[in-house]
Amino acid sequence: MKSTQLLSVALGLALLAGAASAANWTSGMTEGKVTLKSAGPITFGPDGILFIADTKSAAIVAIATGDTKGGAAKAVKVDGINSKVAALLGTAADQIILDDLAVNPASHTAYLAVTRGRGAGATPVLVRVKGDGNLEVVSLDKVKHARVELPDAPVDGVQGEGKRQSNPRQESITDIAFLEDRLLIAGLSNEEFSSTLRAIPFPFQKVANGTSVEIYHGAHGRFETRSPIRTFVPFKVGQEAQLLAAYTCTPLVQFPISELKPGAKIKGKTIAELGNRNRPLDMIVYQKGGKDWLLLANNSRGVMKITTDSIENAESITAPVGGGGIKGTKYETIDAWKGVEQLDKLDAGNALVIRRGEGGALNLESLPLP
Amino acid sequence: MPAFGAEAPNQPPGFSAVFLRWAPVPWETNRLVLEVSGIAKDTLAALQSTNWPAANWPALLSVFVEQPGVEPVPMLGEHRIEGALLRFAPAFPLEPGLRYRAVFDAGQLPGADSAVAGKVTSILQVPVRPERATTTVTQVYPSADVLPENLLKFYVHFSAPMSRGDIYEHIRLLNEANLPVELPFLELAEELWSHDMLRLTLFIDPGRIKREVKPLEEIGPALVAGRRFTLAIGSGWKDANGNRMKQAFFKRFTVGPPDRDPPDPRRWGYQAPPIRTREPLAIDLAKPMDSALALRMIHVVDESGRAVPGQPFLTERERIWKFLPQHSWKAGRYALIVETTIEDLAGNNIGKPFEVDVFDGVARRLEQKTVKLPFELK
Repeated sequence: MKSTQLLSVALGLALLAGAASAANWTSGMTEGKVTLKSAGPITFGPDGILFIADTKSAAIVAIATGDTKGGAAKAVKVDGINSKVAALLGTAADQIILDDLAVNPASHTAYLAVTRGRGAGATPVLVRVKGDGNLEVVSLDKVKHARVELPDAPVDGVQGEGKRQSNPRQESITDIAFLEDRLLIAGLSNEEFSSTLRAIPFPFQKVANGTSVEIYHGAHGRFETRSPIRTFVPFKVGQEAQLLAAYTCTPLVQFPISELKPGAKIKGKTIAELGNRNRPLDMIVYQKGGKDWLLLANNSRGVMKITTDSIENAESITAPVGGGGIKGTKYETIDAWKGVEQLDKLDAGNALVIRRGEGGALNLESLPLP
Repeated sequence: MPAFGAEAPNQPPGFSAVFLRWAPVPWETNRLVLEVSGIAKDTLAALQSTNWPAANWPALLSVFVEQPGVEPVPMLGEHRIEGALLRFAPAFPLEPGLRYRAVFDAGQLPGADSAVAGKVTSILQVPVRPERATTTVTQVYPSADVLPENLLKFYVHFSAPMSRGDIYEHIRLLNEANLPVELPFLELAEELWSHDMLRLTLFIDPGRIKREVKPLEEIGPALVAGRRFTLAIGSGWKDANGNRMKQAFFKRFTVGPPDRDPPDPRRWGYQAPPIRTREPLAIDLAKPMDSALALRMIHVVDESGRAVPGQPFLTERERIWKFLPQHSWKAGRYALIVETTIEDLAGNNIGKPFEVDVFDGVARRLEQKTVKLPFELK
């Protein structure tokens, strides 16, 4: 029996209105104070522009960090980074949540989206790791920035209701990535069990509805269900931009970005089965030995190095995989990379990770890409 | 937060009057500012004219959190000279239960003779906030005692805002033997809270619900028809103020057969309210529905499609949807607009079950986004 993953794409406005000229990324930005209700995930675009997903405000903020000076990446090792961030912010380590890590590809500097406090009054803070390993808070008081809201879709056939008061719906942003001239945003609602994927042109335009597509993925047999995307990475196979998405339940799925059109039904491919009792956390793509590789951090199955040459012509997984084994694209678990919770690419040869060491301390360190 | 006395235990020579004091900020509760007094006027003037970059100030005056085993990092804040005082305003409030050490190094002052100058230190112990365990779980939805085997989610409502992070340590699904079911929930780092941190959404791991996937085949479903389970919320979970909960919470329920039938509005009945009253409109949804979505995705519109203002609420274990209008009903034509993405307890949508049979069901998939159910009030 041969079956394929079926991704059906519903909803939608134009996926990608003609993107503005890529020449001036800061056009349309204003200088001033950026107020965030929450911070993370974060990712870098070109020219030191940092995108911050503010889930509580249902908004994305792009910040021109001005951190654009190139230079060789340095090895990084900051032990107990959670305790150090706590000290800088005048609190205890248990009051610090490290929400995301992103490396500025222009300067190879690490940025952390941090939350100080755990209650309703928790404060988001952006922290930069300086070359000497010391930490500094990135001031958002006077910074060039642009902001885009992620609007709720209107309800067909209902006029004039507007936003209901005290609407407890919130769409968490599970991952963001920049690709060429657009920001891809995966969202997960705290009410409907579905995942949306938006593509928003950058620089942000005035009315930036972006596109919302709902993605469904199937099981290996005859039943398919909706399932939220956990983490994803855009990736070029030849000239074709592909999205590799890891779902909250089990599979790694590939589909071409060009096919994300309103009303289209996309056939994606399950290219790897990641095993049960496992949740994917973070993903990067890198080159080594003339080949592209995918590195995927998981909560219980460690860091997996996945070949991509078989992704280009991967056969879909055709039947349920038994016995806890793996099927599809080959992967290798990198045993030395234990406890990785956050992952980004530092430079062509190195990754930057946050991983849990002895005694529960979180350490930031650079590791040569496997 | 009480006011704190000054302390200057080790005066450096030549700075006999230097004094460190934590002063309350009048316009902001729970905020303290560190003040250094006793610096000579001309020294302060010289300090003001240095135009030091921000990075130079911490060497002169810093506040550190005392944490065992952690090398001290100066706390972020702003230095300022105001009148006869050097002030340091921490960027964040000082936290209950923590010890803060303020250090003023006179040797860093412009023109200081570091041989004779020295450091003044002051320790501030912020009192522990008294424990007030008052927060409780007020409701868990679905509220029914019998839930389908393919139940998709719980909503846990709290009486006060809760804290984020490591929440899954405090939630258990227990089987009949009171043993925890292994990994029944989708554990998301985002933790699906409402804005006010009063409601948590807890998804059952779909890998433990849907058919023909590996987790289900290997470790079985989280819920099994005919068995009894308990959703247990531990009292060690802290609320937004850092207090434990008043008590643990248990929702005991029996599991019934799976529900794979999409909700069908054609089977919904309604009870018309009398006109010229504000009596609620009542809709029988034929089976219990997802509480949050039923409250958000069913709309009452008038003949022209304008939303009728009012408040929806649910009764009868989320099977009856009621709508209390803001103004008295008028005679005329109305309609219910129901978004097809509304879900029942198993995540089935209108026209689309949670699991779509790809050999059988795709072509019949409903593409429209809303269903209109007209009714008339006379």
